[in-house]
Amino acid sequence: MSDTMASSGFNLKEWIFTTDHKRIGILYLIGSIAALAVAGLMALLIRAEQFSPGMQLISNGDTYNKWLYFHGAAMILAFLIPGLTGFLANYVLPLMIGAKDVAFPRINAFSVWLFFAAIIIALLGFVVPDAPDIMWTGYPPYSVKTPGNTAFYVFTVHLLGFSSILGAVNFLVTVIYLRAPGVTWFKLNIFVWTTVAAFVIQLVFIPVLAAAVTMLLFDKYLGTHFFDPAQGGDVLLYQNLFWFYSHPAVYVIFLPAVGVLFEVISTMGKNRVFNYKAAVYAIWGIVAITGEVWVHHLYVAGMPDWIRIGQMVTTLLISVPVGLILLSLWGTLYRASITYNTAMLYAAACLFLLLVGGLTGIPLAMTVVTVHLAATAFVHAHFHFVMGLFAAFCVFTGVYYWFPKMTGRFADGKLATLSFWINMIGVNLTFWPLFIIGVDGMPRRYYDYPQFPQFESYHHLATYGAYITAVGMLGMIVNWVYSAFAGRKAPENPWGSASLEWTHCPSPPGPGNFPEDVVVSEDWSPYEYENRPSGARTATAPAE
Amino acid sequence: MNRFERLLTLSFGAVASLAAGAASASEAAGYGGGAAGSGGVSDPAAGWNHLWNEVLIDITVIGVVFGVAALYMLIRYRAKSPTAVGHGPKLKGAAAVAFALVPAAIFMADDFFLSAKGWTLWNIYRRVPPNALEIKVTGHQWYYEFDYGNGVNVVAMPGSDDYLRVPVGRPIVMRMTADDVIHSLSLPHYRVKEDIMPGRMTYIWFLPTEARKDVVTCTMFCGDNHSQMWTNIEAMPPAQFEAWLASQKKQAQGQRAVENKG
Amino acid sequence: MRGLGAILAVAVLTLLGGVGVAGAQYPREPESEIDPNLFRIDEKSALGVKLDADLPLVDQEGRGFRLGDLLGKPLVVVLAYYRCDGTCSVVNRDLKNVLADVRRMEMGRDYRVLTITFDKNDNQETLAKFRQGLELPDKWLKEWTFALPGDQGALRRMTDSIGYKYFWSPRDKTFFHPGVYVVLSGEGRASRFLYSTATSARDLELALIDAQAGQIAEPRDIINFAVSLCYSYNYKEGRYTINIPLFVGLGALVFGVLALVVSVVGYRWYKRKERTA
Repeated sequence: MSDTMASSGFNLKEWIFTTDHKRIGILYLIGSIAALAVAGLMALLIRAEQFSPGMQLISNGDTYNKWLYFHGAAMILAFLIPGLTGFLANYVLPLMIGAKDVAFPRINAFSVWLFFAAIIIALLGFVVPDAPDIMWTGYPPYSVKTPGNTAFYVFTVHLLGFSSILGAVNFLVTVIYLRAPGVTWFKLNIFVWTTVAAFVIQLVFIPVLAAAVTMLLFDKYLGTHFFDPAQGGDVLLYQNLFWFYSHPAVYVIFLPAVGVLFEVISTMGKNRVFNYKAAVYAIWGIVAITGEVWVHHLYVAGMPDWIRIGQMVTTLLISVPVGLILLSLWGTLYRASITYNTAMLYAAACLFLLLVGGLTGIPLAMTVVTVHLAATAFVHAHFHFVMGLFAAFCVFTGVYYWFPKMTGRFADGKLATLSFWINMIGVNLTFWPLFIIGVDGMPRRYYDYPQFPQFESYHHLATYGAYITAVGMLGMIVNWVYSAFAGRKAPENPWGSASLEWTHCPSPPGPGNFPEDVVVSEDWSPYEYENRPSGARTATAPAE
Repeated sequence: MNRFERLLTLSFGAVASLAAGAASASEAAGYGGGAAGSGGVSDPAAGWNHLWNEVLIDITVIGVVFGVAALYMLIRYRAKSPTAVGHGPKLKGAAAVAFALVPAAIFMADDFFLSAKGWTLWNIYRRVPPNALEIKVTGHQWYYEFDYGNGVNVVAMPGSDDYLRVPVGRPIVMRMTADDVIHSLSLPHYRVKEDIMPGRMTYIWFLPTEARKDVVTCTMFCGDNHSQMWTNIEAMPPAQFEAWLASQKKQAQGQRAVENKG
Repeated sequence: MRGLGAILAVAVLTLLGGVGVAGAQYPREPESEIDPNLFRIDEKSALGVKLDADLPLVDQEGRGFRLGDLLGKPLVVVLAYYRCDGTCSVVNRDLKNVLADVRRMEMGRDYRVLTITFDKNDNQETLAKFRQGLELPDKWLKEWTFALPGDQGALRRMTDSIGYKYFWSPRDKTFFHPGVYVVLSGEGRASRFLYSTATSARDLELALIDAQAGQIAEPRDIINFAVSLCYSYNYKEGRYTINIPLFVGLGALVFGVLALVVSVVGYRWYKRKERTA
């Protein structure tokens, strides 16, 4: 980034109208980190309000509900999904497959514009009176009856959905048709596989969400009765349609996040991915099952008993492909030769966050256990471990790992390590107490809990944890901005990776990515270190 | 390669036998919704606590095995020199398939084990005993209304003395609906909740086994005062409950008489 | 005022059994100023109410039985009267016509029907005459019970419990009552209220499926459940409408799958065309 700036000078117009996938990736990163910052601020306000029973910061619940809405919607729709499938996929996926750019560069540019338009609409919700207060789920009848402006929510979802669909088409075509000669399907980086799987999920399921929120819009503003039970609407159908997309959306986040871990652990451990093919099939196993598990979000919503039991089995069974992916991840550590740096530190932490998040999902897959745990702090802690901690930490892992690729510089190691430990301590302090009070019945989405005075000390801990995390996050972002311009210069392939984005192009890559057309030999693999063909830029060079 | 296979086989064998052990131990401990309440009705809440402990053991075992393995490998396999490379196994053919199928089978076994356990208790949760006392619940923004029949209607404003009262020792079934938006009736102590919505009836049942006072609260986001939509539930000795119900009935009749006059 | 009265009278008529049928077969309804909305059942509060299973009744053979004896499977309850002082109750005739078109469910196997009179002047004689006049098919004679109340007070408590109102209007020389079919679940809970004027065979089928409360016992129940998903119940009007959001959602899913196929296949086609051009 700084190099290109130094050589050509910073030109805002060039950035806005860029069709270069790398610059678009950086734009996604800036947008999603901005969303993280605002939504993180909301999280701090939420935690401060929950510090004690009674009202600390607010005079009525409406304000708090707006924070919750924005925190949830922005974190998932504007930070995690764009951070993983916007920023990371854009920046590194074409490099990994040896492509000069994506298949439709201008559509790609349009996607990122839509993304920014969506963020602006979401933020506008705060400026106009009556911001949405409907949680990121927007269940009717409340979302129809509320004075809040549900339209901001609907349009945000529309724009992001449209952006994601265009992105999905673009990247699927790119991976299928633009792989460099020799980069065959079973030599693709796991990150490429996970991203492709995520985009397939996006493409198939997003229209359903778009349809659901559109009908919500009609109900609220045009007087239709799609979801109004009194007028023949179906009060539960919105929830079904919503989760029919939104549970797969968890895997849209989870899969690329795991993909990042594979890249980092394999590179830092100079080790091949354990049972690569099993991991690839497991990824597609998740895609196959993910459309049949949404009812676990509706275990206490009054669905017929037999559906709740049927989907308990499918939900539990998704642990089989997830388990196989974990096994490959763990196996990649076996007999590795691990070099520790910030990216590896985050990756190692992610393994433990994933364990806690994943395993606490098992009781929640069981209908009868969820009959008590649904909508409690336990659920809150579970999905924050998966999404907020694991997936977010994977984004950070990716940023640190590809930082030299993007900027040609290293992020400052000391500040990075310090902020890592602050973050790690902070997030664990925030969410472990919530597991405990969740089992005792503390509900989610409460700003006041006069009925549960016994939980106050746990809320104290969680709030302190959030404050600590805020310090760590601030340190991390300051580090990125500072190091992007003034960090220590990095060599072309600082980690000694075998993957194409490191071996075949300069850091940062110029227009067209690769100085020469990429052709790889038959024994090439992004994960092969033992019998490495060649570290040279041209892979046409014979193996050693 | 051989050593490696043996190692992994051992570790997964350990997981499997631990899971099987936990299963048989829990079977031996006698499962069936925990201690049977009065009248041979099993108490769903006791069953829940029992199942919860089993699941907790299950996930703790898996978590510890994976966690310790990760920690061990992260420390053990640090790079000896900057140029050192890893020597992870290159799985081919049967070994690759075996390393996918065997763990998949183990995970699946655990899934089905948990499914069976969950289903058994679920059936208890959904089959209301015939002698249950029925209370009709209506959710409003932001309070509950409990209808005992015969004109006894308790409007339970948060924190007031009008709250849900039930007799000890008799199953209670709540038939629930809502007036405006979706709410939820959560009884954390009795380990049960279900959403309540306009135009549909949902139900839960539970068995109060001792006299005590607990919280009833809303767990489905329902607007500004969602956090303050709560009341109490008091399980009372049957005689005391009957006396209370009779007094309420009298009051209701009195009220009706006044209304008829006016 | 007269104009309004006429409108209301037409509305009551409609409620009682349909202008066409009633007008053609029975003496014209006298004008009245009764608000038909009085007779709407407030479903929001009546839904799920468990009817008194011990309600004493006497059937067409003169045998005493309890309401609970007919439960175990969904039960359609019709409240009416057997004598035709001013006008006859057409609710039963309407129900017979609708049931003739119900194909998914079979009377006896899947559900039963019970008619109860609320006219205390009715007796076995008027019952028998009325029943004969209905001309039920033979296979229904056993499954469609016609009953007299064993205890007027108990019947009144039962109708009160679901908010069913009826009274004799001396001026109009007729009973005013909602023409409603109360569909009970197998355990005797009020599950659906369908109005005779607006009910089609499909509505009744769906109401009976709903009254089975998601119990899946046989393969055909799964098909029935799938059919019931396609419609949603309007509790203000007591009828079923197509569940549009479901089809919109399914359409969106098809769109997504098509988008996937088109983008993958379409690009190949586009590239090939480009190469040959």
